[in-house]
Amino acid sequence: MILGRVIGELWATRKDERLERAKLLVVRPHGWYEARWQTRHLVAVDDVDAGVGDDVVVCLGQPARWSRGGENLPVDAAVMAVVDRVELDADAATPAHAGPGIGRPWDAPASWTRARAR
Amino acid sequence: MLIGEVVGRLWASRQADGLAGRKLLLVRPLGGAPPAAQSGLVVAVDGLGAGPGERVIVAHGSRVRDITVGEAVADKDIVVAIVDDLHLDPAAERPAPVRTRRA
Repeated sequence: MILGRVIGELWATRKDERLERAKLLVVRPHGWYEARWQTRHLVAVDDVDAGVGDDVVVCLGQPARWSRGGENLPVDAAVMAVVDRVELDADAATPAHAGPGIGRPWDAPASWTRARAR
Repeated sequence: MLIGEVVGRLWASRQADGLAGRKLLLVRPLGGAPPAAQSGLVVAVDGLGAGPGERVIVAHGSRVRDITVGEAVADKDIVVAIVDDLHLDPAAERPAPVRTRRA
């Protein structure tokens, strides 16, 4: 799952019938999402009533299909939670301290980061 | 899923059986900056009747394909919706308000 910010909503009348009652949100991932298309957004179905401006946890891939109980939705991203608060350790979140593969630029909001107590 | 604009259609006379009779669209993902604007095109299977200039939602994955256009189709990028209206809020992109917490 990834963290992201809801930046918009969209509406569609012509769509797969299983998406009839689905609420669709546009999410800007904090950090990186899909390098293949160099796009910095994703569309996710929402069942937890997130709104524009909320930080959310988004499940990617096949498990997202089951986000609404037993229904098999034709989706690959679903909002699983609305985030109340995030705390990042300022030292651990710095690329120099990050492990292999997670040293890519991190653009989490500055307010999330707090200095490690010394 | 991603939002993309349909920039064209694609036909092929010699193709795998898994693509026979399928309508293929070229979709440019929203926000794909150059050079992605040239190279980052998605070839998606469309069963909804989308046309050039329309914005669509493309879902990815074999299970999505299985339950929409059928297991026999040889493409994992599927058009699942045609966008009527899209509202993006620039204010939402601002950083969260600072909440200082003493360690």
